[in-house]
Amino acid sequence: MSRRVCIAGGATTPFGYPMHITPEAMIANCVVETQHDIPDFHLRDIQFMVYSHFSVHFGKQLCPEWIVHDHLGLVGVPHFRVENGGNTGGSALYAAFLAVKSGMFDVVGVAGWETMDNVTQSQGSEFIALASDTRYEALAGGIYPIYYAAMAYKFMKEHDLREEDFALAAIKNRNYAVDNPKSQWYRGEYRKYKRDLTVEDVMKSRLISYPLKRYDCCLMSRGGAFALVTTEEWAKKHSDGKYVVIDGAGLSSCTIRAGDRLAFPGWTERYGEGYPDMTEFAACRSSGEMAYKMAGIDFKRAYKEIDVAEIHDAFSSSEVQIYKALYWCDKENIKEFLRERRTFMEGDLPVNPGGGLMGFGHPVGATGIMSAIEAYYQLTDQIPKKHFSSKTYVRDAQTALVNSHAGTGTSISNFILRRP
Amino acid sequence: MVEDKRLHKIPDEPVEYPDKHSNDFRGEVKEWGFHFCGYDWDPAEEQFKIYLHYDQLYYWKLAEISKMARGFLDGELWGTQCPKCGDKFFPPRVNCWNLDCELEKTEWVRLKPEGHVHTFTIAGWSGKSSLKRLPFVLAYVVIDGCKTAVANELRGLDPWDAEFGMPVKVVWAPKEQRRGAITDFWFEPADGWKPSPMTPEKERIKELCQPVYEWVKTLK
Ligand SMILES: [Zn+2]
Repeated sequence: MSRRVCIAGGATTPFGYPMHITPEAMIANCVVETQHDIPDFHLRDIQFMVYSHFSVHFGKQLCPEWIVHDHLGLVGVPHFRVENGGNTGGSALYAAFLAVKSGMFDVVGVAGWETMDNVTQSQGSEFIALASDTRYEALAGGIYPIYYAAMAYKFMKEHDLREEDFALAAIKNRNYAVDNPKSQWYRGEYRKYKRDLTVEDVMKSRLISYPLKRYDCCLMSRGGAFALVTTEEWAKKHSDGKYVVIDGAGLSSCTIRAGDRLAFPGWTERYGEGYPDMTEFAACRSSGEMAYKMAGIDFKRAYKEIDVAEIHDAFSSSEVQIYKALYWCDKENIKEFLRERRTFMEGDLPVNPGGGLMGFGHPVGATGIMSAIEAYYQLTDQIPKKHFSSKTYVRDAQTALVNSHAGTGTSISNFILRRP
Repeated sequence: MVEDKRLHKIPDEPVEYPDKHSNDFRGEVKEWGFHFCGYDWDPAEEQFKIYLHYDQLYYWKLAEISKMARGFLDGELWGTQCPKCGDKFFPPRVNCWNLDCELEKTEWVRLKPEGHVHTFTIAGWSGKSSLKRLPFVLAYVVIDGCKTAVANELRGLDPWDAEFGMPVKVVWAPKEQRRGAITDFWFEPADGWKPSPMTPEKERIKELCQPVYEWVKTLK
């Protein structure tokens, strides 16, 4: 296990709903942008392609990765697609990490996208709900925001939080997205506001499912992303000064139905009775532990060691729940942690300066890769070039955490990236 | 074939299904397969958009959980229980989840149609097919001592009156409307339960619900 695996480059498309560009053109654009950053990179370098795409329902196209792959000219190069719900991007990155770590390949491309603007928002919600147990939850009228709201409401009660505490994450990520020219918030609804969003705006937005309102929820999007995962030898030679090392990688799993985790034996034996219940993401905690261990980070000190994080804020509440699952705060200090704005740019662990899912957008198959690329830009000092300004640039960051999250917390990955 | 009592039996083909109700609730739904409805063209941006409709009938065979669906039709709630460790499940699991039980096959048990709310939410938005019944309460209910909670609608109260831990009962749809699905029943407050007085939080939820009621009225 001595081989070090790196992210040597990558790019995202703008995200939008609707947006007019095909999946193959999205990935081609990402490759071209990557070549601008690392001119040495040629498509001939790619030895293996991992595609990241969630729902074939949106395109009414099975195996859409086959279209992208031959469009890129890569016939003969081995490929497959990873599909793992909202954690599809993180899982594809994980697969690429394994492929390089194992010694099988030196240069692996990870390409992801989603085309959710092919259907209406309510139809899109129903498509995504097909990733819940359709025999029970989806039929009962549930869609993901409803399941998350039921989890968030109990979490809110048990931690004595208010709706306003969740709203902080919602405004933070959207307002940071304004500094990001590719973000869906900036390219879309921000044009109406032309000002920072406030907690009051969130409180006044329409009810989605209590305690979540419209601005507590992420965006449905079209968008694509690409990452180049390589050996350190390749990265040093072709992308010197512009690569990061994946020092930790964790992937874990939980139940598909949130109601099945009140007393699941597999969790009870790891964390004791009554965990995670419907309030915490056990797969986030356990994959976080794996990543921390691999990177030599003491769980209790994780908050001090991580300088910037891009995490899966599908909902403002889930961002908060992730803080706790990753050991950044606990039941006792969570309220202060939130109200002191510790995860804002001026705090000690800025979270989602790229805008996150609520600000940048959530084209599912591209999302986890987007998060990794934003973290990669931070650690390689490319933010001032990629964003409008340095407002969302975490200077001198050495260590970043990337989190990707699926289902009701059903599959979650965490990565620790470091400067070489 | 390996002999092991944990193995699920697969019926010999064909299964005849002599009691047929395949179109009882079909309404106007048709299978089109691929159907190109039309297109749009933007000459300035040179953008072309196609309107594709695609629909298909699925045949979900419930197989070893068929007893649950039959129970729904008959107004009976059936869960499963592991004979080794005693864990009881609804929704039913056909093998035990406990790794030490080594995939022990569970047994069907009739559940008392009552439970308590583990957590809940008041939905103001949902999937396309559920918009007209907004706002509704979706509750995760632990039924009759199960180790799991099941999500279903909680009716028979104003949405803002729902409470954590409140006792609920299972209420069945009229027999002729049941179709062997989870929507054949919902939850209602247990007999004798009374809502608590209004609180600022309940007022807040009520206020959030008002525009949802108004919006639903505008739906065709
Ligand atoms: Zn058992």
